[in-house]
Amino acid sequence: MTPFTTLTALAAPLDVVKIDTGMIIPGRYNRKYRRPGFPDYAEAFLHDLRFDTAEKLRPDFVLNQPAFQGAEILVTALDFGCGSSRETAAYATMDFGLRALIGVGFGDIFHSNCLQNGILTVVLLQLEISELWRQLLAKPGSKVTIDLENQTVTTPEGNIYAFDMDPTRKRRLLLGQDDVDVTMEYMSQLEAFEESYRKEMTWLNL
Amino acid sequence: MATTPLTMFQKIWDRHVVARAPEGEELLFIDRSLIIEGAAFLGFDRMRIMGRTVRKPRQNIAITDHYLPTLNRAAGLAGIANPEIRRVIEMQEENALEFGIEHINMTDKRQGISHVIAGEQAMVLPGMLVTCNDSHTATSGALGAIAMPIGASNQLSHVLSTQTVWQQRPKMMRVNIEGIPPVGITSKDIILAVMAKLGIGGGAGHAIEYAGAAVRALSQEARMTICNMSVEAGARIGMIAPDDTTLNYLNGRASAPTGEQWEKGVVYWRTLPTDADAAFDKEVGVDVGDMIPMVSWGTSPEDSAPITGSVPEPASYDDPIQRQRVEQALEYMQIKPGTRFTDIPVNQVFIGSCTNSRIEDLRAAAAVLKGRKVVVPAMVSPGSTGVKKQAEAEGIDRIFTDAGFEWRDSSCSMCNGSNGDIVEPGSRSASTTNRNFEGRQGPGALTHIMSPPMVAAAAVTGKLTDVRSLVQ
Repeated sequence: MTPFTTLTALAAPLDVVKIDTGMIIPGRYNRKYRRPGFPDYAEAFLHDLRFDTAEKLRPDFVLNQPAFQGAEILVTALDFGCGSSRETAAYATMDFGLRALIGVGFGDIFHSNCLQNGILTVVLLQLEISELWRQLLAKPGSKVTIDLENQTVTTPEGNIYAFDMDPTRKRRLLLGQDDVDVTMEYMSQLEAFEESYRKEMTWLNL
Repeated sequence: MATTPLTMFQKIWDRHVVARAPEGEELLFIDRSLIIEGAAFLGFDRMRIMGRTVRKPRQNIAITDHYLPTLNRAAGLAGIANPEIRRVIEMQEENALEFGIEHINMTDKRQGISHVIAGEQAMVLPGMLVTCNDSHTATSGALGAIAMPIGASNQLSHVLSTQTVWQQRPKMMRVNIEGIPPVGITSKDIILAVMAKLGIGGGAGHAIEYAGAAVRALSQEARMTICNMSVEAGARIGMIAPDDTTLNYLNGRASAPTGEQWEKGVVYWRTLPTDADAAFDKEVGVDVGDMIPMVSWGTSPEDSAPITGSVPEPASYDDPIQRQRVEQALEYMQIKPGTRFTDIPVNQVFIGSCTNSRIEDLRAAAAVLKGRKVVVPAMVSPGSTGVKKQAEAEGIDRIFTDAGFEWRDSSCSMCNGSNGDIVEPGSRSASTTNRNFEGRQGPGALTHIMSPPMVAAAAVTGKLTDVRSLVQ
């Protein structure tokens, strides 16, 4: 997994509350195969917001505007990623090219799925998010910097906002570790556990 | 030395803790991991990308259930017209083979819905910690185990790579179900009443233990229906303490231990029930003594009420967010406040799903159908090939088909329609399933969930019906 340290990138504002995981990736895409290492779910990302029922781009939707093409940061509203636990939502987010989400709050499972895939989720106050939206709309195409080590977001006009971050999650992102890498550090404990468990629970035939 | 009284949940959870991370998450050992085909290919792909192997292949079982057709099964894969669906099933077979995991595939005689065959085959035993990449995994908690849903990609690949899972310890809730249910009441009615009381978020962050005299009186299969719907209250874990009913159910089943090992297991399992005076974070009581059969009217399982009632007025909700949600639900369901439930017509019915497709469910529906004819399209998908065979041996299939039901093969089928069995847009279905969400049984489908006898009653009258008016 790519380590996440500092990201300075084009940011897009998305002022829509309660975008659930079914909107991030509509259910019909869940049985679509995603080739390992290919961004096959890019098309699925917010598909029904980006396209109309005739599969034509909705020109007024913010992510379809020319100035926001290639955005790697999305600044979202309340409860982005709430709803069903589908992990494909994090893949779609990643496949669309996003490396970080800055928002007021995220759905719990979506949040941890993003972090597992190296997508940083930053929670700021609604006031700060509103100010970010204002700046990004005032000068479309401008860049935002996220410094994970120092836990700060720098806006296009130079405001610096601090954010909270679970220290374990931060360490894993900085090192580019996923959960399996972390668990491997506990291997001697796991082996000792298994030894005693197998002896006690003989009927399980482990 | 006095010992602290413990809940069943604590006893089982604590015995599976391998390590505790500084921030509080715990690394838990998994006795058995069930892997269903829905999106599991993402987990296996991740294994390949990271170059990882399966740490304990024997403790994993792959199962195909969601995407299997319920017709023309003899044709095998070639009988599946939709290439995406066929591919999902093929990938499960290929992945199980490549990673050395046993696969209960479409032709296996044990085939069935994972949460049905987990108990039927005794893949789950009391005291176990079990994971599956499906939200209704809690079903098997009815055997006195911790059975938890996990994500199909990262979490699944973690389970495969390490046979463990990182989890935050949930809080504990006990739902005390007391009283003797009147005739005509099933465990589905009981759990719908619990859902109506708890609400969709009422169990969030909690492991629920269902206890009380009414639970003790339930059969093992009926208990599974209770635990199955825990997730509909937001709880990922639902459990019922093992007792003689549990042990009699498990003894002699395919994967159950035998002889001396069975006896050793029994000694341990008897220690699992919650100690007297053990403390829960939350306790809720439900009395089933004068319960009436339940139906759902809205788009969330908590929108359930006794069949003798009528569609609620949104204005009767104090919370403005709930009021708005109920308004939207009624608009989607195309029903007006004040309509008596028994005046709501249905266009079709479905009996199946991990909630209600076991032999007792089919027997209970057949008891209503015997000598009657359906007036709307009706289908039944037994919970497993084993259930189907048993029903055929008992002549229950004939009761269904004589009444006009389609007698299909076993699959998750019309519960969520992933195999293509869907309720058509705008069609209203009485279903034994677990979720009445918008679009759950198909885009624009209008779902009312209820017990198998209640679905049978709706099938023969063409409207929501109090089954007690048909059966004395």
